[in-house]
Amino acid sequence: MKKLYTIIHLFSALLILTGCENELEVNPTDNLPGELAFTSESNIAAILVGTYDEAGQVGTYGGRGIMLPDLLAATNQVFWRGTFIDPRQAFEKRILIDNFWVEGIWVNAYETINQANLVIDNLETVTSSPEEKNRIEGEAKFLRALNYFDLVSTFGLPYEAGQSNTQLGVPLRIEGIIDYSQNLEITRSSVEEVYTQILIDANDAYLLLPESNSFYADKYAAQALLAKVYLQQGNFVSARDAANDVLVNSGHELTGSFSELFSAVSDTDEDIFTFQVTSQTGSQDLVNHHASEIEGGRGGDITIEDGYLASFDDPADERANFTYINPANERRLTNKYREQFANIKIFRIGEMHLIRAEANFVLGTTIGIDPLVEINALRGRSGAAPLLALTYELIFNERQLELAFEGKLLNDIKRTKRNVGARPYNDNSLVFPIPQTEMDTNPSMVQNPGYGS
Amino acid sequence: MKTKLKLVLTLFLVLIVQNSFGQEKMVTGTVTDENSLPLPGVNVLVKGTTTGTQTDFDGNYTIRANEGQTLVFSFLGQRTVEVTVTASNTISIEMKEDASQLDEVVVVGYGTQSKRTLTDAISRLSSEDIVDVPNPNLQNALVAKAAGVQVTQTNGKAEGGINIRVRGAASVSGGTQPLYVLDGIPLIDPSGGIDDVGNGAATNPLLTLSANEIESIDILKDASSAAIYGARGANGVVLITTKRGKQGKAKFAINMAQGFSQPTNKREWLNADQYIELFTEAAINGLGEVDGRAEAEGTFDFLAGDTDWRTREVDQNWSDEAFQNGYTTDADFSVSGADAKTSYFFSGAYNNTEATIRDNQLERITARTNLSHQFSDRFKAGMNMSFSRSEIDRIAGDNQFATPLQAIAQSPLSPARLADGSPNPGTLYGNFLFDAENAFFNTVIRRTLGKVFGEYSFIPSLKLNSDFSYDIYSQNEDNFRGQNSLFMSTNGQAFSSDLNSESYTFSNYVTFDKRIAERHNLNAVLGTEYINYNRRITSVTSQQFPSDDLNTVSGGAEVTAGTGIELKSTFLSYFARATYSLDDKYLFKASVRRDGSSRFGQNTRFGTFPAFSAGWIMSEEEFLKDSNTLSFLKLRGSWGKLGNAEIGGDYPSLFLFSGVSYNQRPGLAPIQPGNSNLTWETTQITDFGIEFGFLDSKISGELGYYIKDTEDLLFSVPLVPSSGAATINQNIGMLRGQGLEIALNTRNIETEHFTWTTNFNISTNITELQSLPNNNADIVNGENINRVGETVAAFYLREYAGVDPANGDALYYLNTDNGDGTLNRDTTTDINEASRIVAGNPFPELFGGLTNTLLYKGFDMSFTFQGEWGASIYNDGGRFQSVNADFYDNQSVDQMNRWQQPGDITNVPQARLFGGNGSAPSTRFLAEANFIRLRNFTLGYSLPTNVIDKMGISKLRIYTAGLNLLTFTNYPFEDPEARYDEAGANNPGQTFYSAPPSRVITLGLNINF
Repeated sequence: MKKLYTIIHLFSALLILTGCENELEVNPTDNLPGELAFTSESNIAAILVGTYDEAGQVGTYGGRGIMLPDLLAATNQVFWRGTFIDPRQAFEKRILIDNFWVEGIWVNAYETINQANLVIDNLETVTSSPEEKNRIEGEAKFLRALNYFDLVSTFGLPYEAGQSNTQLGVPLRIEGIIDYSQNLEITRSSVEEVYTQILIDANDAYLLLPESNSFYADKYAAQALLAKVYLQQGNFVSARDAANDVLVNSGHELTGSFSELFSAVSDTDEDIFTFQVTSQTGSQDLVNHHASEIEGGRGGDITIEDGYLASFDDPADERANFTYINPANERRLTNKYREQFANIKIFRIGEMHLIRAEANFVLGTTIGIDPLVEINALRGRSGAAPLLALTYELIFNERQLELAFEGKLLNDIKRTKRNVGARPYNDNSLVFPIPQTEMDTNPSMVQNPGYGS
Repeated sequence: MKTKLKLVLTLFLVLIVQNSFGQEKMVTGTVTDENSLPLPGVNVLVKGTTTGTQTDFDGNYTIRANEGQTLVFSFLGQRTVEVTVTASNTISIEMKEDASQLDEVVVVGYGTQSKRTLTDAISRLSSEDIVDVPNPNLQNALVAKAAGVQVTQTNGKAEGGINIRVRGAASVSGGTQPLYVLDGIPLIDPSGGIDDVGNGAATNPLLTLSANEIESIDILKDASSAAIYGARGANGVVLITTKRGKQGKAKFAINMAQGFSQPTNKREWLNADQYIELFTEAAINGLGEVDGRAEAEGTFDFLAGDTDWRTREVDQNWSDEAFQNGYTTDADFSVSGADAKTSYFFSGAYNNTEATIRDNQLERITARTNLSHQFSDRFKAGMNMSFSRSEIDRIAGDNQFATPLQAIAQSPLSPARLADGSPNPGTLYGNFLFDAENAFFNTVIRRTLGKVFGEYSFIPSLKLNSDFSYDIYSQNEDNFRGQNSLFMSTNGQAFSSDLNSESYTFSNYVTFDKRIAERHNLNAVLGTEYINYNRRITSVTSQQFPSDDLNTVSGGAEVTAGTGIELKSTFLSYFARATYSLDDKYLFKASVRRDGSSRFGQNTRFGTFPAFSAGWIMSEEEFLKDSNTLSFLKLRGSWGKLGNAEIGGDYPSLFLFSGVSYNQRPGLAPIQPGNSNLTWETTQITDFGIEFGFLDSKISGELGYYIKDTEDLLFSVPLVPSSGAATINQNIGMLRGQGLEIALNTRNIETEHFTWTTNFNISTNITELQSLPNNNADIVNGENINRVGETVAAFYLREYAGVDPANGDALYYLNTDNGDGTLNRDTTTDINEASRIVAGNPFPELFGGLTNTLLYKGFDMSFTFQGEWGASIYNDGGRFQSVNADFYDNQSVDQMNRWQQPGDITNVPQARLFGGNGSAPSTRFLAEANFIRLRNFTLGYSLPTNVIDKMGISKLRIYTAGLNLLTFTNYPFEDPEARYDEAGANNPGQTFYSAPPSRVITLGLNINF
């Protein structure tokens, strides 16, 4: 009996010793090991889709990248009533270096850029057809250019038309990183260098992308981005031509009414490019901070003030009455953000009309259509009476009547060299600080003026 | 025929022997314990001879001895008694429990050892130390009882976590909790590291255990003791042993207790008068006389709703809405006993705790069976099986608007309820009462923990143990938020999750234990262990409900989210240990363990962990042996290496992509950078100790000193954000912890009717970083920094300099470097100009406890004081609560001392609405958290034996017990132990609307029969 027990125990001990070492190799079942990620075309295509998802997160295009610059540029148009401290700092123009929303914009943008870089680095795996390869490359470059434009226009001092723009921009990362054990230090490129890269990427995207591409970026999304970038640079000729190309060839047109544009849950004819939001995917943080609780918001953190309403000249203008009062707290809120699963608008035809009209006015040309006629047509869409004559001031104002709260104000102020309250367009407080986390880990990083050292 | 002959011859022999020894006779008697119960198995020896016997089942013995010889009665756990044989033939004695604990047996992991010959640093708590503590979290009983073991109750929630640090933390972002081993089964926290379940806060892994099942808790503090747990022992090991039946007839025990509780502290907030005064002033200061007054009064109108704030119609105390009186009910019973072959222990327990925060409740039922049976001389086998079911109603975590504790931010001008009794929707922040009435968060945890073990002795000195244990933990959560709950825009939402964790442990070890030639005592263990943890989590969320009456996932029209995750990790180990003592005076121990785990990088799967210790019982030496004052003196030292395998999840070394969805199209996104060199943290602990006893152990104690060096610290290293990834898991840096431990036990008075004993312990701990990667570059995480030469996760904040008396501006010290090593102490009002400095330590540097136990006739009283010094806590809620009316949150009362006119000297800046005056994170919201607390208190009375004997009862005791009865502290926020329960490991020491622990008083009854 004793012998039997001994044998049994020794045998099982032996079993344990030999059989179990394989048990130490455990692979996750919910995630894909990185080594396999770049080995097939369908994976590369999936990483591209993942890049859209990343870009649409709350930090940047899911909402905060649009709201924060608007709050920074606002004076009497809106008021921040929410409890969050970080957007309030932007509204007060007193941003601290550890501002969580600013850090979120930086981090989210660079995550998107890295993922786009990974796609571009691995294009040779896409072999099924040249069209597919071009499409993938074009979309990745579009997303990269879009993010760099919003980074450089908020973290760098303003672009000065006609000058060499050596002021510090943002770090240019154009290669995907897989091995994080290497040295990740990087310096800030100049604003000029960043714009150069943006234009290269956007122009490439324009050439590579198809004319229509479902809800992903297409040729005219790239062209719309180019129009916006050229406008910011004061390059009215190129801006006009790009906007014209979109207006004439893209097939997009204005919606019948202003409210039709914003009550839609899916893309309208006017939308050139949006980030997709559904009840299950994506983020719509604009609704979160603009809307009442019943509509899916926090009760109205951003209220519309008299200063904005006073800028309308025609009381019959639909856009002048595009607000509502939240019964729970009497706050006046915008109708633009009441649909909690609406897509996030990035480019639309209304903006293209404004760009073409402004460029035509400045250059004295009438490419496509006379600027006064164009502006009046846009006004007519919203039932506003036509203007009798155009001035640059009126065009600037029309942009605010049409595009308010869509993240355009800060760029408009900087390129037209206007003041924000008592602060000039190039004041240090109108530029975001480089986030504390980047300063702490990147020895080559230089902080923006006015934010300590 | 043969028998009769034997008998005759025996009798003859006896006669001869008796005669040859003169007045030798048969002495008989009965040995009983303190409770007058017979003690079987007591050794009875005739001193100076080899004649010996043991008491039988009824405590009776018979032994042959001469008049004048001495009988020595000894039994484990009882004080040895010596009695001289007189003319009487009967010697019956009552044995008393051995308070000196030297002959105690201590559990050491895969075996036991006598405390006397131990060379390790181990603290032991027995079941008496653990009972009577009125809180479902069993670790509360460990507070202030063991040197070097610091226990923090993180908050007052019923399921609230408890943090235990054994000799300081040995890690920065790895796990810092000790390894809990229950009857040889290493436990994990099944919901640890998973974001998809729970309400964001950690749950106590021992929540499913009840104190009445526990026989002892042994805390292994140094390398020599913990190295046998190798790669998981770096933060200490807490060995929990459940009860076994003791020799004798069946014993029944019933305990019942009922109590009520209140929060230890409620802060004071502004009332309506103060709120109106302060905010009117703040608005005028911030926006001008006209605009400011309009803004303030407009807001007061909104906050007051239909009531009239001008007449102070409403003065709502929101703090009272959030807190309530709590109740606890506790009942348990056990049956146990043993005979020569079988021992059994059955128990059941029930606990119902209503917390002091509303809508938080825990109800728990546990049951246990421990059985073992000696099948033959060689083979013993047994089974421990326990079941528990806990149901918890939770509130939100600390950082969610729906938590009652954030209600203190509401304005006193807003009533909590409207005239019709429904919750007031017009409050500054979401009114938590909407969630209290329209939402629920219910969790049910069912756990079955079982162990089957066998012990086979080849020869008496060599045996084989085989243990197989199985732990199933199943947690279901149901969180329904109805139509009227806060921020509800999807017509209701239901969330349901299922976590199933299954783990099994298979250990096999051989033990050799022999005393050779009287002088040499050798014990050796050799074994292997395999552990497999497997967790599976699924969850579903649905929205769009027709009404609140349908509140499960199926009631929703649209399923909007779902998850399904599987996590698995494994451990494989080989271990060996040898313990040798010479003459019971010179003691040596060596152990080694080789561990491998699936969690680590391919290149670095396995680690080897050796340990050595030695001891010298000086008091056994000739020159000290007969000392009357010094009864015991032992010197010991140990050194060893341990590891820490808790480094964030099951797959921390892999480069991973996960599936994402963009408009319901499949995508892939990178989620974790990889590091194939990721490995264990290794901690080396060097330990010295002196154990002493004076005056026959009337005064006894231990002094210990240790140094804990950790290298290859596991860290989620922040990466350069512009690189596209936030953090990477790496082994970096070195950490050194050092401390002194002093424990003293004194038996002050011991007379027949009155006994007074004291236990005092005090410990120090400083843990500092010695090196970090990138040439010792600082690693900053929010308000904490890891910097070489400073304590781990030290607070790193801008330094508040008070208020400028000329204009009421908040001031900060520049603290910029002057270039010569000094700091510029000028002040500025622009916080971006100020540099941060190291401002405090989140962990205490000195902590201790004092326990006094008094017994007088039938009365017993025991109380424990606990103290901690040196820690600071950062109040992250301070930026909302105590910012001189920067925003409409209700402010703490101290804000009324704001600066008002030039010349005012105060620490509270001028009230400026939206002005940001002093609201930035700084040392303004950092406070020292030193405290002394009367932690446990018990007063009981046991009816005298002659009264209860007639009822057939052996013990009847009524008692009252208290927890956290008194607290002495200058700490200004909620409670010096209350901390944020959603913080990651990188940001310890913060509070954010955290619930203070509870002050509890119970009344109870113990019956034994």
